[in-house]
Amino acid sequence: MTRCIAVLGWLTLVLTLGGCAGESDLNWQRIQEQGVLRVGMEANWVPFEYVDGAGQLSGFDVELARMLGERLGLQVQFYPNLSFDGLYDALTAERVDVVISAVVVDMNRSADFAYSVSYFEAGQVLVVKGAGVDEVQDLGGRVLAVELGAAGDTLARRWARRLEGLTLNHTESAQAALDAGATGQADAALMDRASALMALKADPECDLRLSGEPVTDERYAVVTLKENRGLLGAVNDALDDMRRDGTLAQLALKWLGP
Amino acid sequence: MNAWRCHDRVGSHVWGRWLLTLALIYVFGRLAVPRPLVVLDPPQTVVTRNALVGVHTRLTDEVEAWKIQRTLRMVGQMGAPWTVEYFPWPYIEPARGQYAWGHTDQVVAHARNQGVSVVARLGWTPEWAQPETAEIETTLTYLDPSAYDAFARFVATFAARYRGRVDHVIIWNEPNLSFEWGYRPVDPAAYVALLQAVYPLAKAANPDLVILAGALAPTLESPGSLAGLNDLLYLQEMYQAGASPFFDALAAHAYGLQSPPEADPAPDVLNFRRVELLRQIMVTHGDAEKPIYVTEAGWNDHPRWTMAVSPAQRIRYTIGAYEWAKEHWPWCPLVAMWTFRLPAARHNYRDNYTFVTVEFDPKPIYLEVQAYTGGQ
Repeated sequence: MTRCIAVLGWLTLVLTLGGCAGESDLNWQRIQEQGVLRVGMEANWVPFEYVDGAGQLSGFDVELARMLGERLGLQVQFYPNLSFDGLYDALTAERVDVVISAVVVDMNRSADFAYSVSYFEAGQVLVVKGAGVDEVQDLGGRVLAVELGAAGDTLARRWARRLEGLTLNHTESAQAALDAGATGQADAALMDRASALMALKADPECDLRLSGEPVTDERYAVVTLKENRGLLGAVNDALDDMRRDGTLAQLALKWLGP
Repeated sequence: MNAWRCHDRVGSHVWGRWLLTLALIYVFGRLAVPRPLVVLDPPQTVVTRNALVGVHTRLTDEVEAWKIQRTLRMVGQMGAPWTVEYFPWPYIEPARGQYAWGHTDQVVAHARNQGVSVVARLGWTPEWAQPETAEIETTLTYLDPSAYDAFARFVATFAARYRGRVDHVIIWNEPNLSFEWGYRPVDPAAYVALLQAVYPLAKAANPDLVILAGALAPTLESPGSLAGLNDLLYLQEMYQAGASPFFDALAAHAYGLQSPPEADPAPDVLNFRRVELLRQIMVTHGDAEKPIYVTEAGWNDHPRWTMAVSPAQRIRYTIGAYEWAKEHWPWCPLVAMWTFRLPAARHNYRDNYTFVTVEFDPKPIYLEVQAYTGGQ
């Protein structure tokens, strides 16, 4: 009797798990059969997704989506007019298969959604001129420029409480913080990596550079429903390949700069 | 002999069960996560350079006492002597005549302890006061005229209980928006009838009570719109319906959107100083002596919301608004920014109205306002 119950329990467990896997494979199977990958985004965020002057959908994420579609053998259908607040709802309502819209991984949402491997690191970075500041600890006794109220400002204030002699130079914008670094009013500027790369690309003569890796973790990833394991696996494999063969690096260079 | 042995066995069996029960209680009690013991601080006084600085807290759905205390402590430490808080009627009177005051008592006690004055927004409709669902499907914001007296009794009961501790109440919220009026066409005359039902009972319960009408939403919706009605027109119609004797002050919402606080008001523009147009209407109708409490206001700094400003602008505009009201609005005792903290992240642009994170980390705007007020 006990053995029967154990066997039944085991069978139930296997069938349940197998059923779940089956459902997610059905989604991936549907996508493959239809040959279309539906991509949701809010095309209002330069340079990741936006509508250019010629009325064309452009940007890092747009090109990334097309590349993913090519590698997965799928045609990409864009839904570019979703509101940022509604991106996750669009997944839940199955209006789109994936969201590729400069979305930062949020583990608080992991109960319902799954994130791919990261395709871009958007965290806060130190931008410096010359030598002297290679990491956070080097900021003691120095001046750090940061946009007032921005995410970096919260971090900078925390550092200022811990690093002796660190002075904050609050600016009205991220560009103003960079200007402070370029003119010597500050020893470094703190901002998100995308803004920093674009600013340096726009003014290669400014003699500023990124000092090391991002100091915060803000990874952009492709988002899908948690049960879409087959799709997620395929996307991850494609992104891994794109990282290995340098495609992701080329994409970042094209849209954001070195 | 056998009887005694039987008695002994039974006795020891009962004692054994008791011992086992006690043992289990002890074990599970040890395993249970201990709740923080929350005691009131020594009575606090808010230090501030601007007595009209306020925030709208959102403790309605915050059940843990330590979070209620910490929120109000941080409000006071920011230099804000005011908070606007929402006390839903369904939460407090879930059945006719039966009251659940525990949560409200906590909020009021901790606010008072921290030296923070509470403006209480009262609204929503409990199920027992809604029309029978067979007749009509209604929402929480649907208050049928047949329930006006019940709502008035609730307001009076609230006023009596907290007399001397909460002396400002807002009657309903944004009645000029359809979805705040039960998804019905807005009806200024009906709202005035509600005020008329509430006012005498509430005043009898607490003669010192300041009854705030309106909490009108700034909107440009024209007459006949399904969404609502322009707040200026709505206020005009309130007066035409005879509102004046039934409120002591007006509550107004003054969101700045993408304009600085000093931007000039105009009937076709939504900005912070639109409140001055409401003021003009009040003066025209002989209510110059009545104050206007700004019970919701603010700017948003979400990087991807089309109506947002930059983080630096949000800080400057917020402080600028507090300062503008102090310098130019002698009839305004309070400007309350929406919203101090949310119990849980919304994962949308609304999170960018807050001053403090869900984890109680003060944002730069909190620190800058604290520096402005001289708060401690």
